[in-house]
Amino acid sequence: MTSLLSSKFEAAKEAWAARRARYASRLRPASTVSGLPLKTVYTREDVTGSDLDVMPGVYPFTRGLHPDGYALTPWMQQMVFGYGTIEETRQKMEKMVAEGMEGYFGHKVFNTVYDVPCMYGIDADHPEAVGNIGQCGVHMSTGDDYDELVRDWELDSTNFSMITGDNCLPALALLAAAVERRGEPTAKMHGNSMNWYPRIAVQDVPSWEPQWGYALMIDLIKWAKENAPDWNPVNIFMYGLSEAGATPVQELAYGLSWGKSVIDAGLEAGLAPDDFIGRLSFQIGCTVNVFEEAAKFRAHRRMWAKLCKDAGVTKPSHMHARVHVHTSGYVLTQQQLMNNNARITLQTLAAVLGGVQSIHTCSYDEAVGVPTEESHRTALRTQQILMWESGLRDVADPLGGSYFLEKLTDDMEAEAWKIFDDLEAAGGYRRGIETGEVKRSIDNASYEMKKKINSGETPIVGVNRYVSDEQENYEPFRIDESIEDKARTRLENYRAKRDQAAVDAALVDVRRACQALKDGTGPLMPALVEAARRGATNGEMMVPMREAFGWYVSE
Amino acid sequence: MSEEHIKVLLAKKKIDVHGRGSKLIARELRDAGMEVVYFRFGVAEEIAEAALQEDVDVVAVSIMTSGQMQIARELVPALKKRGMDQVLVIMGGIIPEVDFEPLRELGVHRSFPPGLPGGVVADYIRENAGTVTLV
Repeated sequence: MTSLLSSKFEAAKEAWAARRARYASRLRPASTVSGLPLKTVYTREDVTGSDLDVMPGVYPFTRGLHPDGYALTPWMQQMVFGYGTIEETRQKMEKMVAEGMEGYFGHKVFNTVYDVPCMYGIDADHPEAVGNIGQCGVHMSTGDDYDELVRDWELDSTNFSMITGDNCLPALALLAAAVERRGEPTAKMHGNSMNWYPRIAVQDVPSWEPQWGYALMIDLIKWAKENAPDWNPVNIFMYGLSEAGATPVQELAYGLSWGKSVIDAGLEAGLAPDDFIGRLSFQIGCTVNVFEEAAKFRAHRRMWAKLCKDAGVTKPSHMHARVHVHTSGYVLTQQQLMNNNARITLQTLAAVLGGVQSIHTCSYDEAVGVPTEESHRTALRTQQILMWESGLRDVADPLGGSYFLEKLTDDMEAEAWKIFDDLEAAGGYRRGIETGEVKRSIDNASYEMKKKINSGETPIVGVNRYVSDEQENYEPFRIDESIEDKARTRLENYRAKRDQAAVDAALVDVRRACQALKDGTGPLMPALVEAARRGATNGEMMVPMREAFGWYVSE
Repeated sequence: MSEEHIKVLLAKKKIDVHGRGSKLIARELRDAGMEVVYFRFGVAEEIAEAALQEDVDVVAVSIMTSGQMQIARELVPALKKRGMDQVLVIMGGIIPEVDFEPLRELGVHRSFPPGLPGGVVADYIRENAGTVTLV
């Protein structure tokens, strides 16, 4: 039978070669965005080295985390949002729930982005906050703000994903204090701290010195383990890598190296593998290159599972690479804005084919500014159309067994391990932050990509193909500058009614706890939670932290 | 000014995340033969001070997370206060096209959308540096 099959295949190949003989030499060799060479056709000869004897829901999870893919529950629709003060964002939360945005089993999922002053850790009255308050995220810094955030939502069935920056620990402390004021235990909290310290390798913002950045990350993990066991204390922000310019293969390699650096830091701090690794999760980018992206997600699951196993994780579910996709904003163009809807649809398609757990779809006008109500709804509806109309979620890993996809998955994995191994041999991701190596490699990749766009070698419709001189004059969503006054007033009112002596004393304790963390003699999070209970703001808690942990600018 | 040495202060706010665009334009202006000083600022006044100290021909501000209007409103008077009324002021990044004209009225000579080849910006600088007055 085997020889019969192969003689049939050999005959087909001969016929194929004959059909293309006249023009084959003129075909230009193509490659993926990551630079992997592509053939025009793949056959079973390409998958002889692949392990096709795998099933979804079973280690190494190449075909997905769950045995039946999306059949039991579809991916979570986790639209990023947040603007103005909490009052504006609260209205938006209610609106998104009314629009049908939901997570697993109907849970509410709020993927709330902070404005950059909050992320950086300055309150609304700081001079450097001017121009950025409530603009590209919500301004939340006081206990009142957090009370309003959690008001009336059922804590058992509501996920708060807080897209923070360096204010990650103060933000969690403020949330915990608000939950306590409701009379509920912090153990009921569900959601996610980003804990994105290692993003400083690619995002150009000042942050903690590397040794303290990792210490703070672990401090949050430990607090969450004791006080909010369902909380996801770390997100590995691979999206930051690809948006900075990493190719999909680099995103895999550096992202997994980032993850390994968190695992290593946790193990060094005495945590047991099964106690924290299963709570790590990922946010990953997704461009319009459908097959390369789908293969990336498949390779990612299998590589992470292997890393977890090597680190000593024993429970299979703790080896799950749980992935939230944020569709790439970099690929959206300001030229001919509506074209971005086609890009977003392809990005979402790739993420779903890749079997991810949660998706944020960018809005077509994000190349201009903050999305309008309409563009934000259209982005959500794009997910919902894929979810309900396309049939995409009926079958787990529908591309599994495809000669091309299996080969591409294998090749991307092999290339990513090479970069990963080199970085590990040189001291790992943390060392890569200190030396700037990770940033340099990604910046160089970004520059090479841009040169290809400038020359037209990489076609971008509306930018270097089918260019139009017509003005778009698109009017984006505006957050009125008066929001800055409103935020300052809210802050003043909050400060006026609190017990200032209690706040001052709590901040002294925070300062002491920062030193204790540096000395390895005690945690910081409990002091921050206490400061939040007594009324300290986001920016106030960050002052002693900045003094203690340095302020490291990498460029 | 086309044959002369051109020095550009490329300013980006410290809390403005995602430096991909600003770092690309820094490289592309360098490729075009210009000297680029990459500068992170807290408030707009600091840009003017750096522009004076570095004695630049061009002040370019990269915007990712908004604030272009407030920056322009403070930056242009701060430059004039220091006697730098011959400096060319440009902006680029995530700025709505409809803001380009209001920015021009505030004294920003030209604004650019994201994603353009850096050569387009370099050509504009070469044609206009040294020929403008801040209004």
